[in-house]
This record gives sequence, C-alpha cells and structure tokens, in this order.
Amino acid sequence: MTGRAAQRDRVKHLFIWPAFLVVLAISLFPLIYALTVSFQTIRIVPPTPPRFVGFDNYAEIATSARFWGSIWTTATITFISVFFQYVLGFMLALALHHNVPGAALYRVTFLLPMFLAPVGVALIARMVFHPYLGPVNDAMVAMGFGNVPFLTQTWPAIMVLSVIDIWQWTPFVTLLMLAGLQGLPQEVFEAAQVDDIGPWRRFWGITFPMLLPLSVAVVFIRLIEGFKIIDTVFVLTGGGPGTATETLTLFAYNEGFKKFNLGLTSALSFMFLIVVILFGTLYLVAARRVTRRYE
Amino acid sequence: MTENRGLRRAGLILCLFWLFVAAFPLYWVVITAFKPPLAVSGGATYLPFIDFQPTLQAFRDAFAGLRGDFWGPIVSSTLIALVATALSVFLGTMAAYALVRFTFRIRLLAGIVFAVISVGGFVLLDVYTALRVPYALAIVLVVALAVSVWLNGRRLPGPVLGNDDVTFWFVSQRIFPPIVSAFAIYLLFAEIGKAGLPLLDTFGGMVLVYTAFGLPFAVWLMRDFLSTVPLEVEEAALVDDIGRLRIFFQIVLPMATPGLIATSMIVLAFVWNEFLFALLLTTGDWQTLPILLAGQNSSRGDEWWAISVAALISIAPMVVVATVLGRMMRSGLLSGSIK
Repeated sequence: MTGRAAQRDRVKHLFIWPAFLVVLAISLFPLIYALTVSFQTIRIVPPTPPRFVGFDNYAEIATSARFWGSIWTTATITFISVFFQYVLGFMLALALHHNVPGAALYRVTFLLPMFLAPVGVALIARMVFHPYLGPVNDAMVAMGFGNVPFLTQTWPAIMVLSVIDIWQWTPFVTLLMLAGLQGLPQEVFEAAQVDDIGPWRRFWGITFPMLLPLSVAVVFIRLIEGFKIIDTVFVLTGGGPGTATETLTLFAYNEGFKKFNLGLTSALSFMFLIVVILFGTLYLVAARRVTRRYE
Repeated sequence: MTENRGLRRAGLILCLFWLFVAAFPLYWVVITAFKPPLAVSGGATYLPFIDFQPTLQAFRDAFAGLRGDFWGPIVSSTLIALVATALSVFLGTMAAYALVRFTFRIRLLAGIVFAVISVGGFVLLDVYTALRVPYALAIVLVVALAVSVWLNGRRLPGPVLGNDDVTFWFVSQRIFPPIVSAFAIYLLFAEIGKAGLPLLDTFGGMVLVYTAFGLPFAVWLMRDFLSTVPLEVEEAALVDDIGRLRIFFQIVLPMATPGLIATSMIVLAFVWNEFLFALLLTTGDWQTLPILLAGQNSSRGDEWWAISVAALISIAPMVVVATVLGRMMRSGLLSGSIK
C-alpha cells in the first residue's frame, strides 16, 4: 500500500469509531461493572456498603432450586416454540415459494405478528385465552371440555406462552427461509425434474440439505432470542402459579427489583450468560455434526 | 403431476389455516376495542352489529385521559423511537460502509490486553481509590483504548482479526441476554445521576441505550445492503479526488435508500416494542408504550375494551412497518441480507 492510499484509508476510522464507542460504552462497559458487583454484596434497601464475598453469590444461585426451575421453564418454552416455529415457518415458506394462490393476501398478515410489541400480544392473548369469556374457551366448550384455567395452571400456562411465541415468531422463520429458497440455483431443480424425481425426494435430497446452513442459523437466532423471554410472561402469569412459569430474565428481574440485592442479581445474570453460551455451543456442535453428514 | 396438485392443495390449506391463526387475534383486538362493556362480560361475541352494537366510547375515554395518561407515553415512545432509530441507522451505516470498503486488521493480543486492562484496572480503582464508579470506568476506558490502539500498531505475535470478526463483534452484542447489561446500565445510570448528569428516566438516557441496542441490527443489515452498491461510481469519484465523506453522503447513501428504509423499519420496530430496558430505566416522565400496556393488565382488570384500545395504539404504526417490508420482500430485497 502506498503512503497516500494509507493516508486516504485513515478516514475509515471516522466511519467506524462512533458506532464502536457507543456499543462499547453502553453495551459492553456496564458489564465490567456488573462483573465486579457480582463478587460483592450490595444492597440498596437497606443500604449496605459493598463487601467482597468472592464466589458466594454464584454458589448461592447454583444451589437455589428456583434458578434451576427457571432454566427448565425457559428451556421448555424455548424448545417447544422454536421447534414449531421452524417446522411451520419452513412449510409456509415452501408454500409461498411455490406461488400458492393468494400469496399477496398472506404476506402482510404473515409478517405482522413479529412486529407487534410482545406486551401487546400478551394482552390480546389474555383476552383470547380467558377461561370463561374468551373465544378459545368457546371452541373448547364446543369440543366438549371447557373452562380450562389456561393461565393459572402450570402446563396450560407453559403451552399458552409457547403458542404466543410460535404465533409471533413463525413469520421470522418464514421470511428468512423464503429468502433462502429464492436464492437457490434453479438448475439443480430443473435437472431433478428431468430425471423425474418426486417432490418428496427433491425436498429431502436437494432443498433441505442446501438450506441446512441457513436453517442452523435461523434456529440459532430463535433459540438465543427465545431464552430472553420476559415480556409475555410478565404480563400473562407474572411467573405464576407460584414460580412455575418464571423464566430466567423474569427471575433476575424479580430478584433485583423486589429484593434489591444487586450483587446476587448481577451474579445471576452472569450465570444466565453462561447458560446461554453453554446451550449455544452445544447446539452449534450438534448442528455441525448434522451438517457434516450431508456433505 | 397429480402428486404435485395434492401438494399444492396441502400448501393452500396450510396457508389458509395460518392466515386464520395469524389474523384472528388481530381481528379480536380490533372488534373488542369497539365493544360496549356488556358485550364483554356476557361471554365471547364475534360479529359487530349482529352480536353487539359497536361504540367509540373506549377511544373517547382513552384520549380524554379518563383512564390514565395515554398521550404522555405515546409522545415519549414516538420521540425516543424516531431519534434512536435515526441515530443507530446512521452510525450503523457509517460503520457498515467502513466494513465493506476498507480492511481492518485487529490483533487478538491487543484485544486481550484491552479486556485485561479494563477489567483489572476497574477493580483496582474501585477497591483502592474512592473514585466514583462512572469516573473510574471512564478513566479505564480511555487508558485501555489508548494502550490497545497503540499495541495494535506494533508487530505482535498471534492471530489477526479481520472485517468479519469486527462485524461478528457488533452482532454478538445480541447474544448477551439483555438483563445482564440492563441491570448494569441501571446501576451505572444511577451513579452518573449522583454525579450530576441525570440519565435514568430521561430522553437522553433512553435514546443512548436504544441507539446501542439498535446498532447490531443496523451494522449487520446495512453491511449486506451496502455490499450490493456498485463500486465503479465510487472509484470514479475517488479518481476525481472527491473526499470519502462526500462520496458517502452524496453517492452511497442515495443509492442505498431501499436498504436504509428496510433497516430503519426493522430497528424502529425493535425500539418501539422494547420492554425490559424501559421497565428498568424509566419510572414516569419518559415511560414508553409497552410499559403503559403492561400496566393496563393489572390496573384495568377485565375492562377489555380499554385494554384493546391501548394495544391498538401500539400496533397501528407497526402495521405500516409490516406493509412496507412486505412490499420489499416481494421485490426480493431482503434475500441479500441472509448471506
């Protein structure tokens, strides 16, 4: 590189530094503070001076049944909903890709749910799943079993929370898988048509393997985002009955803002981070194995 | 071909089924907003004019402020969302442009040194000096940055990270559960507030947080959109000795308009709907709509018509966003962003 070009290159710093600094200052640097706090006891109410306690906070969380319960709840809701999101989303994308009649009608309606505030969606769900006054109850009564207490029993509540997540985020999978389908090379499919290979084998033999890397990425994004769930739970069940539907984020929020024990809360959120990284790594390792089988 | 026809029919049935599933809750919230109280408490009603007489009373009540202040959260949500979206798309586009057109070489060792100095330095300052937390963090940030930038210019052993790694660094901010940084930001903002600069429950604080929150999306999406902008025009301008900044503002930005619109829409939706940060960082003056909505649940009980009006207010702008993006999806614009 000549000196002049290098000098001209320097303008790149002007472009990237503002964004870099904002992310560093707002997203990353508070983490350093939180990391320090997680090794201390700090209470706001009643105020106690910070004191280093080593790994005590972490040990306390690791032995708390509520923590493991919230991991289990979060993982259950996430896995159920991501599974259905992927299957349904992919099928819808295939249908749209093959120009199902009335495609123009579906597009906006299909997209809309993912742009709505989860809090608003939760409010709607509360009306729709009302055990006496809601339309779902009407349908259940028609089928012979009515008045299911959707939000006050553990399993129905977890199912409702999963259904909401599926309703809201299936469009995301559809959107990305459709984009992936449109990007596939046409020649392969034409060749398969000439060889008279049926649609079923065409899908498992060509489409699915070719979209596998995209699928892995889409499911990964949904898993990561799913683990953050709080809004709908906060509005619909508040974690109840008891703490049966308390998710990790809600648990951390409750600990922090009801007990004001900040050291413990910070430790908890770092445990959360470790859980997410653990799950993420396991998933990516498993996904790599599956992908390799198709290569 | 009969096989194909069967599949087509299955696809159509699936689409119609999903259309019903997707649209029914929306239909429900729209009609419920027009229901009189009796049409709610007497069991589910479905058809306006047949099952019940629609009324505008819920809307009148809401906007007259009978059920708490609606206008306040609407105004703060709008202002915060628009400014934060504009800022993060602008900064994100600049960063994305740098990542598309220039090469960055960052030595892993310099990055590690940065992490060690910032964590270690902060702990030292926190334990051995009486410095307030924000000052300590600021000092550590400046020192660690200066040292690692200087180090990055030396010949260090170890792997060198490129543009893709920088992009990944931006995007990886989304992997962190937001609660991790939300609490830290809350504590930090409280400390900065004690030092004299109020950030909790202020416009500036919320915009700052949401700008950082939207940046990963903006960088990621704009990088793909900008990489499709042809290089030739820019090269011609460079030969004519037109500065990079002018090229960026007068050539690149206009050519990337569709991408800018799409990215803004997506970032806007995320900021508009964001709940957790708003829950922690606002208490009254700058409360956003999602917080108002969550409050409706406990304070309204079964006044579904009022709850529906509140939900509709937050949904309405997003219908526009989804419509615009739906159009763009048809033109295949979004297919570039998945690579």
